Amino acid sequence: MLKKIKADENESRLNHLLGALPDEDFDRIKSQLEYLHLPLGKVLYESGDKMSHVYFPTTAIISLLYIMENGGTAEIGIAGNNGLIGIALFMGGETTSSRAVVQSAGDAVRMSAMDVRAEFARGGLFQNLLLRYTQSLMTQISQTAVCNRLHSIQQQLCRWLLINHDQLPANKLVMTHDLIANMLGVRREGVTQAAGALQEMGVIKYSRGTIYIVDRKGIERVACECYQVVSTEYDRLLGEYIRTNLPVTTSHNSASVR
Amino acid sequence: MPFDALSGLLANKVLTALPEIDLMRIKPKLERFKMIFGETMNTPNQIAEHIYFPDTGMISLLGTLGEGANLEIGIVAKEGAVPLCPFLGTPSSPVKAVVQGAGIAHRIKTADFLEECALSQPLTKMLLHFTRSLMLQISQCAICFRFHKIEERLARWLLMSSDRMKSNEFIMTQQYLSHMLGVRREGVTKAASHLQNLGVIQYSRGKIHILDRPALESASCECYAILLKQT
Repeated sequence: MLKKIKADENESRLNHLLGALPDEDFDRIKSQLEYLHLPLGKVLYESGDKMSHVYFPTTAIISLLYIMENGGTAEIGIAGNNGLIGIALFMGGETTSSRAVVQSAGDAVRMSAMDVRAEFARGGLFQNLLLRYTQSLMTQISQTAVCNRLHSIQQQLCRWLLINHDQLPANKLVMTHDLIANMLGVRREGVTQAAGALQEMGVIKYSRGTIYIVDRKGIERVACECYQVVSTEYDRLLGEYIRTNLPVTTSHNSASVR
Repeated sequence: MPFDALSGLLANKVLTALPEIDLMRIKPKLERFKMIFGETMNTPNQIAEHIYFPDTGMISLLGTLGEGANLEIGIVAKEGAVPLCPFLGTPSSPVKAVVQGAGIAHRIKTADFLEECALSQPLTKMLLHFTRSLMLQISQCAICFRFHKIEERLARWLLMSSDRMKSNEFIMTQQYLSHMLGVRREGVTKAASHLQNLGVIQYSRGKIHILDRPALESASCECYAILLKQT
């Protein structure tokens, strides 16, 4: 069971998509939102599960993992406060084809399948935002495909660090090489080697399961263009809607990423 | 190139799934379009003027990588439409779409298309459904690039193309294949000769002939079967 928490209704507006809704739209759905704390490693959906809710992370980060027939995994997308989990629900499906797992503990709000579908069917900005987000997720997945094929593990690691860093309030990600290897779908030695090289360049510091982002610009220079493609596309699709000056007070802990 | 309207059969699955009343309203806005091999159907970051619904043939979606390098991330045939960006809310997208198998499509002007989306629930539903299946295809492609060998991917690609083109024989240059699969030409040559030596395909002068389909299915990675189930 997920732990429900009490929160100010404005907390949900930390999620960019919910934050972008005009007050009148938000007022209509706000009573349908449940506030939750998502612990690290919590599986929100298993591949093939019937989905009951759409999750809008506010401070948590969720990883979308594709599960192979032999049990191997690889990350195809990441959603933090810039997105949502459960697009299949408004696209006419009921089951998911990937596993959604909490990769950085934090909070999220969720909305039932029925409520999401009803609001989506109204055809207003809610629908528009969700479709735009779908398109940005499609770009993210496409770019992951391209990156998987053409770029070095070091470049991929940089892309992954930058995406996560964007979602995190601190310059620190708690994680092991094993877990990064699972996300990237590469061997652990490959990650260790790539992380070692980045540390030698002085752009990250790695100690006892925590990666510190020391020089973000430096990481951007090492990363392939994929990070930029994805973030430019997100801004193009959703930038005009995102409000950065919402009156929200938040008290979340420094997030941890595994 | 456009040619005479409506002389041909409508076979696109999105359009043919529509109720008669919606289809009758849309039909006058459709124009038959001959898709020529290699023709660009969507240029990255340019406003899409038409939406294409293939009846036959297939369109390859290419992820863009700066300097004109391309990599296939998905294939769209009669089950879908290209491009999806207007439906999803923006006039352009970063994806390049190129005709990979010549055929026929019906196309509609973007403004008319959006008007129809607003009028027809079934159209919206079919397009959402297709968007989802396309996303699954792209996800599978990401996994395939990560984990599978060139021979397996070549076999999958040949199977998917053969299904869509309804033919065991098609024209394909190694250069094009190397774009599709994201490997160097030498890699394609090696993988193709391997399949040829096994007697699975015959490859000569830009023409690929599938000789033994069951063997090709065994040579492919699991991605082919998974995607077949999903569509």
